[in-house]
Amino acid sequence: MSTVGNSTNIFWHECPVGKSERQKLLNQKGCVVWITGLSGSGKSTLACSINRELYSKGKLSYVLDGDNLRHGLNKDLGFKFEDRTENIRRVGEVAKLFADAGLICIASLISPYRKDRDACRALLPESFIEVFMNMPLEVCEARDAKGLYKLARAGKITGFTGIDDPYEPPLKCEIELGHKDGVCPTPVAMAGKLGAAIC
Amino acid sequence: MPAICEVGSWGFGVTSEGLKGLKGKLGLGIGAGNVVRFEARGKRNVGQVLALERGGMRQHVNGKGDGSQGENLHQISTVGNSTNIKWHCCSVGKLDREGLLNQKGCVIWITGLSGSGKSTLACALSRELHSRGKLTYVLDGDNVRHGLNSDLTFKPEDRAENIRRIGEVAKLFSDAGIICIASLISPYRKDRAACRALLPEGDFIEVFLDVPIHVCEQRDPKGLYKLARAGKIRGFTGIDDAYEPPVSCEIVLKEEGREATPPRELAEQVISYLYEKGYLHAQ
Repeated sequence: MSTVGNSTNIFWHECPVGKSERQKLLNQKGCVVWITGLSGSGKSTLACSINRELYSKGKLSYVLDGDNLRHGLNKDLGFKFEDRTENIRRVGEVAKLFADAGLICIASLISPYRKDRDACRALLPESFIEVFMNMPLEVCEARDAKGLYKLARAGKITGFTGIDDPYEPPLKCEIELGHKDGVCPTPVAMAGKLGAAIC
Repeated sequence: MPAICEVGSWGFGVTSEGLKGLKGKLGLGIGAGNVVRFEARGKRNVGQVLALERGGMRQHVNGKGDGSQGENLHQISTVGNSTNIKWHCCSVGKLDREGLLNQKGCVIWITGLSGSGKSTLACALSRELHSRGKLTYVLDGDNVRHGLNSDLTFKPEDRAENIRRIGEVAKLFSDAGIICIASLISPYRKDRAACRALLPEGDFIEVFLDVPIHVCEQRDPKGLYKLARAGKIRGFTGIDDAYEPPVSCEIVLKEEGREATPPRELAEQVISYLYEKGYLHAQ
C-alpha cells in the first residue's frame, strides 16, 4: 500500500499485458513527440502531417492538440500561469499513458515555459522527443492564423505568448525545425524528416 | 456558404469543401441526448465531427467538443474557461486507426464495490483480448492516481473530478481505436452518466460487478474494510459512503457465493458482448 500525493491506501495493480507486449503487437515503440513553439508557428499543422506520415507507414499515432484538449479534459483550465502549468502537466501525464499503450503520441502545445516541458520529459526519460518549431515572431504574427495576434496587439487578450507573456525556447531539444535563410520548410518535408527519426 | 440540412429541430452544416471528393457512405445517427453523429466512410476520411448550429449557437457533436479529431471549424469558439480556441482537423481519423488495428475503439467501464474484482477482471480482459490480437489499455482508478490524478484526494468533489478526468482520457483512448478498460469504484450514478455522455452511443460499455458487500468484505484484498470498520478510513464506499448501483447497464456480472467465478470466465462474457456488437473487428 502506498501513500501517493494526496491519496492514501492506493495499490499499484500489475497487469499481465505490459508495454513490451503491446509494442510487439503494434510493431512499433511507444513514445511522445512534443511539439512546442509560438502560436501560429505551425505546430498543429506539423502534428497532422506527422500523423499522416506515420499512418502511411502503418504506425499507430495519436495527436494531443492543446486546443482540442481544452474542449475536454482541460476545459476547466484557463490561461493564467497556474492553469498553463496544470494544462501541460495533464497533457504530459496523458501522453505518458499513450506511450505506455504503445502509441506514438504527438503532443502539440505552445508550452511556453521550460520548467513545464522539462517536467513532462522527466515522466518519460527514454522516449521524449522535443520538437521546437523555431519560427520568428514576425512570421507567426504575419500568418496570424487565428487572428489572435491582432487581438493581443489591440489589448483585447492579455498574457498572450510572444506579446505580453514569455516564450522560453528549448536550450537543448531533439529536433529543431524552422526558417532557414528566410525559407520555411513545408509540413510534409518536416514530417518526413521526423518520421524517419521516430521509426 | 454552408449547405443546411434540417433533421427534426436540429440543423447541421456541411461545407462543400468537406464533401469534395467524398466517396463512400455518409452515415447519420441520432444518439442519446440528441447527439448527432456523422461518419464518412470510404477512401478518404473527411473527418467525423461536424458543427451543429442551433439557434445561432455552434455546438460540437460526439461528446460536445473534446479531444478527438474533428472537422476544422473556421469559427473561434469559447469553451469552458478557455477563449480563442480553434478546432484542429486531422485527416487520419478514428476509422483509419480502427482499420489499422482491426477493432473498434470503445470504453469498458467496470464499476463495483472495493474488492468486487474490478482490477482482476480488467487484467483478465486485457490478457484475453491481447491473445486475440486486440489492443487494449487499462485505466485503473488506483494507477491513474499515481500520475494524472495525483493532485486529487478522496473528498467528494475530488472523486467526481477523478472520474471526470478518467472519462475524458478513456474517450481519447477510444478515439485512438483502443479498447480502453476503465476500472474504478465510481460510486455515483451521476458521474458515470457524465462519462457515458462523452462517448458516441454504444461505445460506452458499463459492466457492473454485482457482488454483495459481505462477500467483498470477506475478501478484503487490501485490508481496507477492516480499517474502515475500525474508523481509520472515513467515507469508505459501502461502509460510510454510498454505492449507487447502475439502474440499467450493458453487462451485469453477478456473484452470490464465496467462491468467485474465475476472472477468465467473467472476461469471456464481456468478450462475447464485444464480439456481438462488432467491436472485435473494424467497420
